This record gives sequence, C-alpha cells and structure tokens, in this order.
Amino acid sequence: MAEITPEEITVTDFAVREHRSLWVDAWRRLISSNTARLGMFIVAFFLLSTTFAHFFWEYEPKKDLNYSLKLKPPTLIPNEEVPSVHPFGTDKLGRDIFRRVVHGGWNSLRVGIVAVSISLFFGGLTGLFTGFYENIDTTHIEKLFLFGLTGLVLGSLSAWIAAQPIQAIFFAILGVIAAYFKDFQKGKALRMVVFAIAGALIGAILGAFVSSAVALISLIWGAITGALLSRPLEGKFFSNVMMRLMDIILSFPGYLLAIAIVAFLGPGLEKGMIAIGVVGIPVYARLTRSAVLSVSQKEYILAAQSVGEGHGRIIFRHITPNILSPIIVQTTMGLAGAILSAAALGFLGLGAIPPEPEWGSMLGDSYRYLTSGAWWAVLFPGLAIMFSVLGFNLLGDGLRDALDPKLRT
Amino acid sequence: MSRYIIRRIFSVIPTLIGVTFVIFMFQRLIPGDPAVAMLGEHATEESVERLREQFGLNRPLFLDREALAEGDINGFFDSQYVRYMKRLLVLDMGESIHRRIPVLETLKIRFPATIELAFFAMFIAIIIGIPIGIISAANRNTPIDSISMVGSLVGVSMPIFWLGLMEIMLFAVMLQWLPAGGRISVGVEIESITNLYLVDSILTANWVGFKDASQHIILPAIALATIPMGIIARMTRSSMLDVLQEDYIRTAKAKGLGHSLVLFRHALKNASLPVVTIVGLQMGTLLAGAVLTETIFSWPGIGRWVYDGILGRDYPIVQGGTLVIAFVFIGVNFFVDIMYAFLDPRIRYN
Repeated sequence: MAEITPEEITVTDFAVREHRSLWVDAWRRLISSNTARLGMFIVAFFLLSTTFAHFFWEYEPKKDLNYSLKLKPPTLIPNEEVPSVHPFGTDKLGRDIFRRVVHGGWNSLRVGIVAVSISLFFGGLTGLFTGFYENIDTTHIEKLFLFGLTGLVLGSLSAWIAAQPIQAIFFAILGVIAAYFKDFQKGKALRMVVFAIAGALIGAILGAFVSSAVALISLIWGAITGALLSRPLEGKFFSNVMMRLMDIILSFPGYLLAIAIVAFLGPGLEKGMIAIGVVGIPVYARLTRSAVLSVSQKEYILAAQSVGEGHGRIIFRHITPNILSPIIVQTTMGLAGAILSAAALGFLGLGAIPPEPEWGSMLGDSYRYLTSGAWWAVLFPGLAIMFSVLGFNLLGDGLRDALDPKLRT
Repeated sequence: MSRYIIRRIFSVIPTLIGVTFVIFMFQRLIPGDPAVAMLGEHATEESVERLREQFGLNRPLFLDREALAEGDINGFFDSQYVRYMKRLLVLDMGESIHRRIPVLETLKIRFPATIELAFFAMFIAIIIGIPIGIISAANRNTPIDSISMVGSLVGVSMPIFWLGLMEIMLFAVMLQWLPAGGRISVGVEIESITNLYLVDSILTANWVGFKDASQHIILPAIALATIPMGIIARMTRSSMLDVLQEDYIRTAKAKGLGHSLVLFRHALKNASLPVVTIVGLQMGTLLAGAVLTETIFSWPGIGRWVYDGILGRDYPIVQGGTLVIAFVFIGVNFFVDIMYAFLDPRIRYN
C-alpha cells in the first residue's frame, strides 16, 4: 500500500464528489429499499389504473344492470350460461365486479386524498402558528391585533346578552389600549385592578341602558374581561387554547366521530371527505407543532429573527422546509388510514350513494350474499382496499427510513 | 408523583367538559325537532308543545338573555345546556326514543359486552404481537425479520370488517366450526354477575356456558385484534432494537450471559415502556373499532348500539353511548400517562 503524504492531497480531491441535495440523497435511499420499492409499485399501480380507467374506460353506473347475470362466479372463458368475461364475477345486480373495483378505486382513493389534504392544510397551519408563537415574543403589531381580537371575542358575549353590539367594540378598544400601554405597571396587581375597573365600567354603564340585572351581569363579565386583558397574553396562552381544542377532537376515538359527523351531514362522498378530514386535523396539528418546537430555537431561526425578518417569512421560508420530513411520512401513512376509514364509512352505508361504485360500499352491498356462497363479491373489493392501504403504509415506512436516517433502526 | 397526578387531573377536566359540550351541540345541530321525532309525524301541536316543555326544549341553548332583560337572574342561567349538565351529574342520560328504556339501563348490559370483546382482542394482540416483535428484533435483517415485518404491516393495513366477513365465510359458512355471530347460543344460560360472560361462567362453574361464550367471542376478537397486533409487533421490534444497541447489552454479552437471558432479562425489560404505552393507547382505539366488528358479528355491544341509534335517529342513545366511549377513551389515555410517569421518573419532573 502506497504511503500518501499530506502534500499529495489537494483540494480537488474533496471536491470531486458530485454535489447532491438532501432530497436526492433521500430518493437514493428510498429506491434502494425493497419494501419501499414494493410500496411505490403498489401505489403507482392503483393510482395509474384508476386514473386511466376513469378517463379512458367508460362506465355508467346508473345503466349497469343485468339480472340474467346475477351473482355469477368468476368466469375467464365465456360459456352458454355466462356469455361474457368476468374475472372477478358479478354482483347481485349482475354487474361486472372487476369493472366496479377498478372504477371504485377512483372514488375510494379520491376520498382518501381529499380528506388527508383537509387534515394536512388545517392541521399543518394550526401546528405551524401555535408552535412558532409558543416560544417567540410577538411583535408590537401582532400584540395589538391579538389583544384587540381577544377583547372583541370576550366582549361579544356581553354585547349579545345586552343586545348592544357597541359593547364588543368598546372591549376591543380596551384590548388594543392594554396592548399599547404594555409597559404600564407591568406585571403589578395595580394594572389588573385598573383594567378590571375599566372593563366593569364599560359593561355596567352600557348595560344600565337595558336593565339593572343586565348591568350587573355585564359588570361582572366586563371586570373578568378587563382583568384577563391586563395580563401579558403571550403566544403560549393562545397556543394552549388551540391545543386543548385539538385534544377534544382527539378524545373521540377514530371512526366514531367520523360516523357521527356523516350521520348528521347525511351520506355522500363529499361528506365522508369532510368527516375524515376533520377527524384527522389534530394529528397533523400536534405533529407539526412538535416539529416546529424542535426547530424554533435553532440558530438559523434566531439568526433570521435577529436580522429582522418578518414572522410570516420565517415560518414559511425557514421553518417549513426543515420540518417537512415527518410531515411527508405522516401524510403517506395518513392516506392509508383515510382510505381505510373511507371504506369503513362506505361499508356502514354512509359513503358513496348507490349505484356509484366504491370499495367499502361494494362490500356493504354484497356481504349478505356471503352465506349463499358468493365469496367473490366480497373478496375482491376487500383485497383492493387491503393492497392499496398496504402500498401506502409500505411507502410511508420506506420514506421514514429514507428521510430520517437517524430514525432507522 | 401525587402532584403530577393532580396536575394531570386538572388538565383532563377542560377536555371532559369540552366533550360534553360537543356531544350536546351535535344533538342540537341536527335538522328537525327532537320533540316531533319522539312523538312521530302525526302528533298534535299541543302534545308536541307539552313534550318540549317537559324536556326543556323550549328553553334557550346556553343563556336566556330575555329573562335577564326582565331582571330574572335565575332564569338567565336556566338553559338547555345547564339542565343537561345537571342531569349528567346525576347520571341521568334520558331514555331511548323508540323503546323507552333508560339509556343507563342498556349501558349496564351493553358496555360489559364491548369491554369483554376489547380485552379479549387485546389479549390476543399482545400474546402474538410481542413475540413476533422480539423474534424479529433478534433476527434483524434476516428473511424472518422481513417476513414478520411485512406481515405485521399487512395486519395494520387490514380492513377489519372485511377480515371479519372472510372469517365468517371460512369458519362459519364453509367449515362450520364456529358460530357466525351473537354472543351466546339460544338456550344457553349464564347467570349474570358482572355481565362479562367468560368471567361469569367461570365464577358459576358453568363450563357449557364458558365453551359456548368462548366459541362466540373468538372470531370477532381475532378480527378486532389484527390492527393492534401489527402495531404492537412493530413497536416491540423497534424498541428492542434501540435497547439492543445499548452499552449494558454489550457488557452483558461480554460477561458471557446466554443469548436468551440477555434478550429477555436485559433487553425486553427495558424495551417494554413504549410497548406498554402503545398497548394502552390501542385499547381506546379498540373500543372505537368495535363499531365495525360488532356490526358484522351481531355482537350486542355499545358500538353497534350507537350505530343503530345513529341510523334510527335515536339521539339519547347516540348521546349516551358516545359520551361513555369518549370518557372511557380519555380515562384510558389518562391512566396510560400516569403509568408512564410511574415507570419513567423523568416524565414527572418535566
């Protein structure tokens, strides 16, 4: 082995390694994993086949009906009894199950994708803002806005009770004043007393125009509002309120809330999308928030703040790109979960309205014929659900390993 | 520790109140008048009005500002929500619209059925999931590992209602080994003590009943266990792999301890914490997943009851059932948090 002296190593030796971005690296890791490749293949297969079928293979569910072919087992070679090819058999109305599975995929996958988009959009934004403002001081303008808004919200209750909209505006002004004089008697009891009296006066004087009982209630509520507005309400307070709301949604276990929402909205694909999407919001909010919290004290964020970049710019230009990995993984896995929930709703008769094909409702339509031996009507839509969900799960697993090598175990 | 528990209790209270609020709002947001729904389309205006009076449906939702404007402060707070909360405090959940049976009475019978199914399913998930995870971790990056991990991912991806149907087809219709649904055969009697049939039949030494009840529970429990089984197996594997990289494992091996001793005594013990957490969290999910399983297997539990209530627009049932499931879910999560802090002292001081 030849000795290498330090003089022989030149700068170019370090530079010969081609430039690769983080994403290219992740992609290489992704396609080097067998399970991730399998997942990608399954996902691509389902997405492409259903999209092609939707645009190039005409199907009119309302006209698809042929009682003479009712519940025929899978037939690959046409015969006298079954004159056409039905690789997956036919259902109770003599409809070709293969065709309905392929076309049903368009609906099932669409519900999953739209639902996850809803959760991701609302949950992600909630997580970004609550996470960011949890530790970071609000700017002066943001403070004026937050306090004004808090005053308006709290004041509107009192305004509603007294039927005097003007009260809300007065409380909003009180909030803005509290934010503007933020250095007056900071953190002292005197500050709280001053603002509580101011709030009580607004409530009582305006309420007195209605009746003495209203004036009393308005006075109490006004004092509480004023006392709260006198506190240094930081981002942490609002962040906690938001997270409590998310906790409430999370306290309803999975399907149950989605079923309840659809039951009240009425069945239909769009309603299912909304229900599953809403139920998923807290998951993304919590994930995004914790990811934001973990980067928000990093040096590059502090640097961006110290050069005076605006909060919106920091959130979207500096934080968002750095927390994408866990969110991408969760979104992929979330798609799997959403497809499963959509199928469950469809199975319970709360999904697509018949005769529109959808995997879950196809199962719900046919399972009563299982006892008479029509296994094919149940087997194939179920396999489609299982494999598409498995594909997204495999891909999500692979993405996690590829995007965050530290987590690889 | 006790300070931690008290702090956690206080943080759970707003969530509980929020849940009651959401459930209350759901009922009020439904289109249509509940009084008309109770009496039917052909009821006279008078009787509808009387019922609205009786149930307080003519009161405002939250606060009565008209009463206040007239100077009546008691009337101001006398609203539907306040009355609803007062009734809840004395466990009065109303009665079912169609069958006129108090919701609480039905809950007492139906809730144990769901609990029995969920616990049995969790038992199956644990005794299969944890060994798979351990074997997988011990044989890392071998075909055994890949097969069991893809297998558990198939479990996670399983539409359980479909699996249930396939089980019925195979074991009940084709092979006729096990019953297709229900909780017990007609003619078999089990004296009810706890309403958990398996426990009751053991307590009364009723072996015919025990055999029949276990034959009924096995198919739905397997269907319900599939997803948690996959999740537990994956969690056990990754947690074991984390621990197996620790220095003390290397030390134990260097001392010359046997492979299985290291695996079970040193590794599994320390890897069990995340597994305990996930078992607890899955318990809550099982209660919700029971809606589907119970529907397929005609299991007379709370999930199916709530689902029937939703379809039949029987709102007291939906309200009561959802409330109980949500409360149990919150309770289980609370218990898991406490357990976690108990097992890992670092949590308490954070």
